[in-house]
Amino acid sequence: MLPKLYINGFSCLTSDAQLEDFAPFLDVRKLRRAEPISKNVLLCALRALQQAQVPPSAREDMGISLAMGAGALGSTIKFMDSIIEDGDELSSPTAFASSVHNSTALMLSMFLQMHGPCVVTGQLDASFAGALVTAQQFLAKHLCEQVLVVITEDVNPLLQDVLQKNPHVFDPFLYQPTQKAQRVAAAFVLSAAATQHTQFVLHHLQLASTQAVQTQSEPLIPVQSCAHSALLLNHYLQVKEPFHLQEQFAGMLFNVQGEPYVLP
Amino acid sequence: MTLADKVSVAGMGCVCACGNTPAAAFEGALNGNALFALPAGRVESTYTAKYPVFMVPPDEYAQKPTDITFSQFFFIKAALQAFEQAGISPQQLNAKRVGVIVGASVHPSFHCFKVYRHWKTDKLAEADYTALKNYLASPLAQWVSRYFGFEGPFQTVATACASGTDAIGLAKNWIETGLCDVVLCGGTDEVTQSPYVGFIRLLVSSAQRCRPFCKTRTGINIGEGAAALLLTNAQTAKQLNLPCQGYVLGYGNACDGFHPTAPDPKGTGLQKALSFALQDAGKCADDIAFINAHGTASQANDSAESMAFNTILPGVPVWGSKGVTGHTLGAAGAVEAVLSLQALNQRLVPATVGFTTPDEALHLVPTTQNISITKRFAVSDSLAFGGCNAAIVLGAADVA
Repeated sequence: MLPKLYINGFSCLTSDAQLEDFAPFLDVRKLRRAEPISKNVLLCALRALQQAQVPPSAREDMGISLAMGAGALGSTIKFMDSIIEDGDELSSPTAFASSVHNSTALMLSMFLQMHGPCVVTGQLDASFAGALVTAQQFLAKHLCEQVLVVITEDVNPLLQDVLQKNPHVFDPFLYQPTQKAQRVAAAFVLSAAATQHTQFVLHHLQLASTQAVQTQSEPLIPVQSCAHSALLLNHYLQVKEPFHLQEQFAGMLFNVQGEPYVLP
Repeated sequence: MTLADKVSVAGMGCVCACGNTPAAAFEGALNGNALFALPAGRVESTYTAKYPVFMVPPDEYAQKPTDITFSQFFFIKAALQAFEQAGISPQQLNAKRVGVIVGASVHPSFHCFKVYRHWKTDKLAEADYTALKNYLASPLAQWVSRYFGFEGPFQTVATACASGTDAIGLAKNWIETGLCDVVLCGGTDEVTQSPYVGFIRLLVSSAQRCRPFCKTRTGINIGEGAAALLLTNAQTAKQLNLPCQGYVLGYGNACDGFHPTAPDPKGTGLQKALSFALQDAGKCADDIAFINAHGTASQANDSAESMAFNTILPGVPVWGSKGVTGHTLGAAGAVEAVLSLQALNQRLVPATVGFTTPDEALHLVPTTQNISITKRFAVSDSLAFGGCNAAIVLGAADVA
């Protein structure tokens, strides 16, 4: 039986985290060399955990379900650039190591001292939905009591350029040349039972592939990113009203319904 | 719940350097036969004259369409074998809730290196736009799901080298929690310039054939391939009269939070993952016939893994299979699960190809010859960059 999901804390960023943002949480000097997407997701995670009032001592066995549409793009591009510009033999091993999806999971695990289950989902626009399904599975199998669901996305300069010059390449995706491309991150603290800090409850969660005719509607969130569904969920949570988030495009159906949680 | 009610494997498929079916790959593992060669022609790199890899034989991909990646092609090949072994077509599963989980490392990244190079040098051509369109249209598991006409949940696991093991473990959970009746799961990966050069630049690749757990080990050889398993619940297996190739009984996952590219030297995260998997399966060390180790032959991996095995599964025989498959990255856990089920069902564990000299520091000697087994359960584990660890417990076909 799949559990309902209770949202105990959430946070979202559509601009880059600055080092001073971390001052309330940790020694900012430790983050000087961190990639922007790692800093973004770490800041969101810290804020969501603070909102959910999860103390550091309770993080040890928490699960991490991380979504990344196309992986650690900034590092992937740095690594490709180093091969193109400097050749294989002078290419950057650091950029290669950082280009692995798990490098972002490591940032969370290391800085938040979280050593529970951790799975990364990487499937472009369906990544966040996949991460929610994984979180629900962690909870259903009692692998942990709370899960940190996070998503972080970089901007792909090649795709941005092509989008401007040749937008048909992106049909039938949601991306539009008029939309703004920017780094995005979001974090949600979920549990299978309500806590004292629960704000929302998700009643229904569905991710499926579909052979149905693809539809495309004007996106509510004017940001172009694989993380748009996370931004949309964050938007509904901010509004604090019952919602039904449904997306169907490019062969994917994502459905989630929820409402503000009221203490019984 | 009896074992007969557990998640079973109705069919499996595999294509890798040591064989193009599960049976052939296991035969290759027993004999030490595999295609281990310099990758010139497949990979553009100044290193191709020095660092060999474990490759899928070219005959196996001669029919690959140009608009899909090797990762996609290998996985479909393995999946079709799994359906054939299960004696069922994808269409016959239409009335069931069918999920797809695929683990990979190259495909879920931005893998359009050639297009990117062209863009950097202002040479984008029409073919590059087509490649980008294909990239955007093919998130791996979703693409596989649509390829077979399924309409269930899908997930592409991108937990680097633990992806294949995670995919199988999550698939088991999807069935146990009632999300799906059937899940097509596994892993797939391919040798491309990025991982090939990246591992060399990290100084963990060896120019010689890898030697898991050996005192003289000099590093890893990357490889490629795919493995697919068709998992099902007992009710569906009975309704559809599906055969049983074995069971997936337990899954554990835990992260180290230690270092970007090295495991915690004590194998702490792996110990947790192994313990969780055994607990989930309701098994203990005494029940386990053998461990199929991650065994990459890097100094750090084999050391951390030995620590964990000696603590959680002391005395259990350890088999490292990367001396015949290479490190197939996101496919590794799935390829090794298929080989482990073959070993359980044939009651025979192969020697660890490449191993010659015990390393006193490890306090562990892997299999040095093919050994007979009587116990019916095995453990397979994977470690990944970023400190992600995963383990599964498998059961032989005849345990129920």
